[in-house]
Amino acid sequence: MRREFLKYLFEMPFLWLGIVSLAGLIFIGDTVTDLEIAFAVLYVSVILLAVYSGRTGAIAMVGIACAALTIISYFLTSHGASQAGLINSTLSLVAIGATTYLAIRIEMLDATARQAQSELARMSRLMTVGELGTSIAHEVSQPITAIAANGNAALRWLSATPANHDEARRAIERIVADAGRAGDVIGRVRGLVARSSPSHDTVDLVQMINDVLELVRSEIRRGQILFRTELASDLPLVAGDRVQLQQVILNLVINAIEALAELDAETRELLVSAAADERKVTVSVRDTGVGMPAEMPDRIFEAFYTTKPKGMGMGLAISRSIIEAHGGTIYAAPNFPRGAVFGFTLPLGGKAKG
Amino acid sequence: MQGQQPTVYVIDDDPSVRDGLDSLLRSVGYDARVFASPRNFLTSPPSEGPACIVLDVRMPDASGLDFQDELARTGYAIPIIFLTGHGDVPMSVRAMKAGAVEFLLKPFREQDLLDAIRQALEIDRIRLRKQAAEVDLHERFSTLTPREREVMALVARGLLNKQIAAEIGLSEITVKVHRGQAMRKMRADSVADLIRMADNLGLTDDKTNDTAPGLR
Repeated sequence: MRREFLKYLFEMPFLWLGIVSLAGLIFIGDTVTDLEIAFAVLYVSVILLAVYSGRTGAIAMVGIACAALTIISYFLTSHGASQAGLINSTLSLVAIGATTYLAIRIEMLDATARQAQSELARMSRLMTVGELGTSIAHEVSQPITAIAANGNAALRWLSATPANHDEARRAIERIVADAGRAGDVIGRVRGLVARSSPSHDTVDLVQMINDVLELVRSEIRRGQILFRTELASDLPLVAGDRVQLQQVILNLVINAIEALAELDAETRELLVSAAADERKVTVSVRDTGVGMPAEMPDRIFEAFYTTKPKGMGMGLAISRSIIEAHGGTIYAAPNFPRGAVFGFTLPLGGKAKG
Repeated sequence: MQGQQPTVYVIDDDPSVRDGLDSLLRSVGYDARVFASPRNFLTSPPSEGPACIVLDVRMPDASGLDFQDELARTGYAIPIIFLTGHGDVPMSVRAMKAGAVEFLLKPFREQDLLDAIRQALEIDRIRLRKQAAEVDLHERFSTLTPREREVMALVARGLLNKQIAAEIGLSEITVKVHRGQAMRKMRADSVADLIRMADNLGLTDDKTNDTAPGLR
């Protein structure tokens, strides 16, 4: 418990600095003013500040501390009518108690909402992985096929007379590399389906985009899509939830692939780019596909709005809620001369909320 | 059959699978040649002896099935074994109908692949033998004089020497001589053998209308 508390402190030092200094100022004010002045009511603002910690335990502790300070200051204050002071202090304590209770309730509701949002996001990830099932099976079966072939080859090279150790060693080296490759695929899939609470990671978007593209590589091949990336090599790290951001990119890329599926093979192009300026990172997915319906850019981010025969209309809605929770914006626009651009921006150095 | 090491072509765009199959096939004793795409394969010099193709169906620049069609159009009847990452039934049906030797699902058992390759090479050996025999037959036929060819065609239609003589206006003796020459040059052991050769050369269908309308 103590260690956890220290962790919160460390996580948000400025918040706690603010809470402590505000409480200190109110305490001084409460102590130096007359007992008749209910200065302690201002502790309510300290408690409301504590809501930003996002921890019910922390809010309760701040509430108790405020109440204790009120009582201490009642005994320290020497001037003024003590009866009126007692009444005022009691009123302040009631206000502090009520505010603490409400703040804890708000935080609990907030946590439930966040939980629901993250469960929804996870459901949608599972569905996406389901859609990618054949592709993922393909990505795993390729290295396994290679491993089996190399393994059999190594056995034959070794049992030949004379044994060919060079060939056998090379085959075994390829087995090791292919096993690593199969493991990577599985790791990526597990990353997407794992039940994880929203987390604040430092995310390397370039690596994340490459990871996502590895998962859909065989979709891209099957779709016979001409595919390029333009990823700035000096892209700064962003703060956020790795799995959720990955989900957004995956959604956008899969949408693009599906939009391209209905076209002639020669015109299927997909460009994934990432760039940054001083204030934000922009990631965009540009396709030359069927483009967007006429009513729009806003409607397509609404829940249950879909133009796909098998779509649920949840992918973009969830993507938007994820990006907005990260303090960013998601957008859609027609591409020239054909197709659509979907992208999002994330603030740099800004605060990301879970 | 020319005493050559059989060639197995592997066409797969995945370098891991390609290298693995390359090593496996060489370890078994085949002359393995690997290609990243059908295009690369088509621009490479062909091998002499029996050969077969191990082909991945899902490739970026041309699907395996289109490639199979293309090969069939060019008349290069090399046997093909398909590999696929996912079992697509209509696809496999189409491939088998178009003459695929086998359709293997990745990851496959080594024995299944080697059995399929053995079978494919056997098919190719028979094809090559037939092809060589045909070339030989045409060469022998080209040494015949026009008269001998005519007589051979009529023999193949089942006419007696007397009837042939009447048909082309020669004496029965001369017909007999031409017939003997044709059999010798064609290296036919019997009349039945000569008729079979005429059949293979297509003489029996072609000549029916031209040379023997009166006999109908």
